[in-house]
Amino acid sequence: MDKTKDWFGYDSLAFFGKVNASISHELKNVMAIISETSGLLSDLSDLASTGKPIAPDMLKSCTGSIMEEIQRGFATIRQMNRFSHSVDNPVQSVNLLDVLEMVIALSEYLSFSAKTNLRSGPGDAPVVLTCPFLLQAVVYQTLVFAYKHTGPEAEFTIFIQPLDDSGWRIIFPGFDVSMFQVFPDVATATMANSIGVAIHCDSVTDRVEMDIPLSIESITALDVSPEIPGTAKPSRSRA
Amino acid sequence: MKVLLVDDEQKFVLMLAKRLELRGLQADVSFSGQNALERIERGERFDVAILDVKMPGIGGIELRRRMGLIDPRMKFVFLTGHGSNMDYTLGANEAEDYLPKPLKIDELIETLNRLAEGPQAVPEPGN
Repeated sequence: MDKTKDWFGYDSLAFFGKVNASISHELKNVMAIISETSGLLSDLSDLASTGKPIAPDMLKSCTGSIMEEIQRGFATIRQMNRFSHSVDNPVQSVNLLDVLEMVIALSEYLSFSAKTNLRSGPGDAPVVLTCPFLLQAVVYQTLVFAYKHTGPEAEFTIFIQPLDDSGWRIIFPGFDVSMFQVFPDVATATMANSIGVAIHCDSVTDRVEMDIPLSIESITALDVSPEIPGTAKPSRSRA
Repeated sequence: MKVLLVDDEQKFVLMLAKRLELRGLQADVSFSGQNALERIERGERFDVAILDVKMPGIGGIELRRRMGLIDPRMKFVFLTGHGSNMDYTLGANEAEDYLPKPLKIDELIETLNRLAEGPQAVPEPGN
């Protein structure tokens, strides 16, 4: 039996739905702007047909706005496509920077998201063998908790640093002790546990530390062959 | 009719405001719930506020409640890109009307006409 299929339970489905809802909301906003701008062009055309002069700058501003929104729409669709394909291979080798970049981009569609930066130390790329979809879900939930606490005006930086021989640590600031009573919630903790991710809530530094194992194989027996694109291997240089 | 449009999607409200102005309405914009609330607190008055439900900070439903306390005469229309049944029920219960994004200008005008109760009916653009 393929145990990895069991990982995609209700919680991960709920995460998938939540992200898709936020993406569709973003696309609706894009379409709403295009709709209003093209509607304004139509109104201006009606006025022009009655002989009223229309300022060329107004037309230029409208067409420029439509083009910008189309690009915004394409960028959103690219993220949606990337996210949708993250379930293609239950287990694969991924660069944590890529995973975090995508999750930050997805979380930006939330109305309460704060500005989030990403920083990693020198050395090899932080590549791990994991279930990328569940890792995304755990990171996303962590960011949502942080955003709810900091509010949309805040700005913080997520760090990735080598842990030891066994993996990488992702550090999330923006928490405080009171949040550690509700974070991680059961769903997030269960998903994290299923891929060997340890979540530490540090009440001294007000941050969450997430330890990602170099290889999921070290914490669970896989019944499927992991997909390892190219020659990438989960590894890093010693600190 | 004096209308206040509140949405954090700045281009959207600016374009919509221009379209309403072309139809003879006095349309003003705020890009956040906080700004809209401060304007009402300072004494600005509008016949109708058109509010986005999901905004950073003060969302449309909370904004409607707080503005309504200051000016009980003001009427409200919700706009939202969210389309769940729960959102619709919430919007329909809390405001005079609820329109999904992307909106149809004719539907909005019809709604505003209804709220204006005839005499202040919104004209076609350019009239």
